[in-house]
Amino acid sequence: MTGPENEPRNEPPNGPRIGSPLREAARELVDVATTIRLAGAHATAALTDGALLTALPHAPAAGLLAHRTLLHALTDGGALGYAPAGGRLGTLAARLGTLAGQESLAVRVLATSLRLRIAAVATEHPELARDPLIVRLVEAAAADRDLEAVRALRALLKDRGVVRALSQIAPVFGEVLALRALLDENPLNDRTAWLIATGGGHATADPITGISNRAVAALDTGAGAARRTSLTAAETARLGSEASLLGFLRNISVLGTTGRVLIQSVEGPDGVVRHVVQAPGMRAGHLDHDSPQDLLGAFSSTVLDSNPYSRALAAAVRDYGLPQGAEVALIGHSAGGAAIMNLAQDAGFCTRHTVTHVVAVGAPVDFKRPADPRTWIASVTNQHDIVPTLDGQGAGACFDLHPGWYVVDYSDATHLFPLCHGIDRYIANLAEDLPEARELMDARLAPYRGPVVRSQAYRLFDHAPRPGGFPFLIVPTYAVDGPDGPVELPIRCEDGSALTAYFAADAAAVARLLHGTGLGGAVGVAGRALVTVHASWNRRTSVGGYRELHVGLVVAGPWRSWSPRLGPLRGADLLRRADRRSSGGFMAGSVVDTAAVHAMGARLWGAGTYLAPLEFGLTARSVRVTVGGPGDRLLALHGLLGPGLPVNALDLVGYARGAAGKTLRSCVRTRGRGRLHPLPRLRLTVQPGSAHPLAHRLRELGLDGARPLLCLSAGTRQTLQDAAVPVPTH
Amino acid sequence: MPADPTVIAAHAEVLQSDARALADCAERLQTIEARLEADGIAPRWLREAVNAHLAACAAAAADLSAAAAHLSRYAERARR
Repeated sequence: MTGPENEPRNEPPNGPRIGSPLREAARELVDVATTIRLAGAHATAALTDGALLTALPHAPAAGLLAHRTLLHALTDGGALGYAPAGGRLGTLAARLGTLAGQESLAVRVLATSLRLRIAAVATEHPELARDPLIVRLVEAAAADRDLEAVRALRALLKDRGVVRALSQIAPVFGEVLALRALLDENPLNDRTAWLIATGGGHATADPITGISNRAVAALDTGAGAARRTSLTAAETARLGSEASLLGFLRNISVLGTTGRVLIQSVEGPDGVVRHVVQAPGMRAGHLDHDSPQDLLGAFSSTVLDSNPYSRALAAAVRDYGLPQGAEVALIGHSAGGAAIMNLAQDAGFCTRHTVTHVVAVGAPVDFKRPADPRTWIASVTNQHDIVPTLDGQGAGACFDLHPGWYVVDYSDATHLFPLCHGIDRYIANLAEDLPEARELMDARLAPYRGPVVRSQAYRLFDHAPRPGGFPFLIVPTYAVDGPDGPVELPIRCEDGSALTAYFAADAAAVARLLHGTGLGGAVGVAGRALVTVHASWNRRTSVGGYRELHVGLVVAGPWRSWSPRLGPLRGADLLRRADRRSSGGFMAGSVVDTAAVHAMGARLWGAGTYLAPLEFGLTARSVRVTVGGPGDRLLALHGLLGPGLPVNALDLVGYARGAAGKTLRSCVRTRGRGRLHPLPRLRLTVQPGSAHPLAHRLRELGLDGARPLLCLSAGTRQTLQDAAVPVPTH
Repeated sequence: MPADPTVIAAHAEVLQSDARALADCAERLQTIEARLEADGIAPRWLREAVNAHLAACAAAAADLSAAAAHLSRYAERARR
């Protein structure tokens, strides 16, 4: 990779590329075109001025002659061309003229300027001038031969494929589009073409269709929000521990286009802790999703000064908690580069923090301006990368739009887009092909070289995400002592699944177990006692994920007793919400699989639990629950669930005998949909030979080998479980 | 509404100034083309394009100058 285009440009401001004779000539032609256009606007203003009409009765002959000569000046094909401009009437007339295929001299001169820019790029990229298909396309565009331009583009795409065609044309992409837009019959894209050709601002509309970019960008709505997120162990291991430019870019590569950003604090050589915001490009896939790192976000980052991405970045920085005035460097790739520039041009952000450095890689940032003029800005772009040209300025630019910036606009042997746009390609280029540029940028970033003392990743959102479980799980909480520090109650489970199986157990055994509890008799079914086995997997809870299994003897509750014969008719109580239910399951044995929840067992259920490995697998058709490890199996409950009827997931109520003979009541409030399976084909099997107390209890109840009468399953549910509370029974 | 010849005269002055600016543009175009030719880097299509622009600039300067003259005369007559 050689050539003047590889040289970074910083001092003097106008580097060799911008100052090349062809670009210099192109720039002068822009001045000429602007002067000509202004003359047309002046003549239009004169012609449409009401003063000329009101004076007509005073000098009709002279007045008519003046009108006629003005009209001639504005429509003389061999002079100004069709040149109405400015004002409502002038703009309308200009658009009608464009529709009719009329051109002005100003447009023709501007087209020559664009052709000179293309010629300038071609001298640096000889492959463009040698390629007959690209030459054919450029000449057709310059000659305003629409059909020929379409044919040339089609031939290019057919011969090279979309990827190669786009890659090859990338260095002159903006110029070719502007040329077409200037000369075509679509009046809606004329302003964009003028802006691209004169360097007056970013493209305001799609250069082909003329659809307003702002209108498209306005679809990207949202106040922007950021939530802390954890990186995986593998990702964390790949983060750089020492800060450097390549380290920051590699971090961006680690994050990938996953909707996340990273903020790090670095202890510089002077002992001062500074902060680095690292922002990747857009996520592939949908046009618009919940993250601002999408195609719409990339688009709005380019054409708007503030968008959900930059606002979400600001929210992440706010949450990170930077001290007032803290020094910050912003590093971004692709849409992330445009977003960090939006942050740098946010006067409020720059008042709160000192944005010292911005490094935008492969990003369309030509028309961004930092709010703090002291901010040092570097832009790194591969000339075959189309993304940086989305604002209309690419390799052919003939204006030094930002004299104080450090611009690395280079070309390498990899001409393929999107490969050359990838962050890893830019890292490789900076590491291997652009050592001087890298060293210069690293030297400027010297205050940020040192050990990383803090890292925090954030997931960004267009809109603040609805908190998990809202509103069900948004409840007052309080802290209690747990084995490893305070634990918040109630336990809030955002995502879990559960199975409750109802068995007919030995009535005598159940009566023995209930004797003296003050809970009355068991609920009976056909001479047997109703017993539940409830198993659940609480995947995401406020105390982490855990599984549990409880055996409950169904009772009517304190102060009540059901006749065994009427029991089934009173079963409706079992369907009530926990706060209105009297019946529940007397805890005859419980197992959990995490030490933290095991330690909280007595507080949660009023009775101790066993700690053992637990497996829980529930599908729409079957369930498999096992308790105990492979060599120490305690029980298994598995089989087909059979047909199911949709029902709401049921709350759970448990009773237990606590210390000093107190009766305690525990509740699990539940939200979610479940299914009632009236004909389950499950079997509960107690492991033969198991000496576990729960195994003894199940055998005692006559449940070894039993099949449930019915089951309730819930594939996805949320739960709230508070501490068990004493119930005065005497 | 009473006639305001000063407004018409002001337009005439602006257009006369534009006519001179266009004449300058023609000179600039010629200089640009000559410079690139001398450097040996002028694209082969440039001379033809610049010549067309030169001729158009000269014609536009004449058109604007004529329009300015007619506007001045119109302002004078309206003033009487």
